[in-house]
Amino acid sequence: MDYSTSFNTFANAAADPEKTGILASLGIDWMLLAFQTIAFLILVVLLGKFVYPVFVRIIDERQEKIDAATNAAEQAEQTAAAAQEDVAKLLKEARKEASAIVATAKDEANAAIEASEKKAKSRAEKIVADAHDQIEKDVIAARKTLHNDTIDLVAMATEKIIGKTMTGAIDDKVIAAAVKEAK
Amino acid sequence: MAIRLSRRKIASYYADELIAGRDIVRSLAAYLVDSRRLREIELIVRDIESALADRGVVVADVTTSRSLTDQAKTAIQTYIKATTGAKSIELRQLIDDDLIGGVKVAVPGRELDATIRHRLNLLKATKV
Repeated sequence: MDYSTSFNTFANAAADPEKTGILASLGIDWMLLAFQTIAFLILVVLLGKFVYPVFVRIIDERQEKIDAATNAAEQAEQTAAAAQEDVAKLLKEARKEASAIVATAKDEANAAIEASEKKAKSRAEKIVADAHDQIEKDVIAARKTLHNDTIDLVAMATEKIIGKTMTGAIDDKVIAAAVKEAK
Repeated sequence: MAIRLSRRKIASYYADELIAGRDIVRSLAAYLVDSRRLREIELIVRDIESALADRGVVVADVTTSRSLTDQAKTAIQTYIKATTGAKSIELRQLIDDDLIGGVKVAVPGRELDATIRHRLNLLKATKV
């Protein structure tokens, strides 16, 4: 129906109100109205039967997805929070353990340093003692050598001097003294 | 073949023979050859000297660097008599230049080494 036709219908009704009634005066064709009403109802029924359920189902599914996503997000958030707490707890424990390890390492390092110093000191003392012993041994050896060399020298000198100065008279005196001493 | 006698019996017999003034050299040599004991001659002579010493006759080996004077001989004999109680002493003198001076007297069972060489050796023995 175009606007010119409707306007003509309305104009005819207005020119003859008694002939067409109020609906006609308003430009409403009751048959057309009934037809449109029935068509609208059929449309509503069809929409309600075939279209709305699809839309509702899609909307419901979307809503379910949104709800699931929301739940998942909440759960993820909770998990993240728990994980953050765990991480914080682990970090705290790790820091504590690290502190303990560092403290232990420091103690061990101090102990090692102390042991090394003690060992070095002991070794140094031993080296000094060994050096003293060696010096003492060297001195003793030198004294022995000196003693023996002196004896050799004295014996050699005595032998040469006596060999040159010994005479029969002196030898007789030596023999007499020896046998007298041996009695 | 001669009967094999002990060295002690042989020494005692020949010591008595020597004291009696008899020459034993040939007899002893013959016995040792006959009994095939020539290798023991030094031991037997030493045993004879010991047997003589037991009978108051001492044979002493006296070693010096030069010939003994009478004065030295007298001193040595006096020493031997004093230490062994010998009635008779026979000195067997040996010369060894290496002794330098002094005297070494060896009698059976005893020895006196009063030589300069011995004293020098004692001095050297003190080396450490």
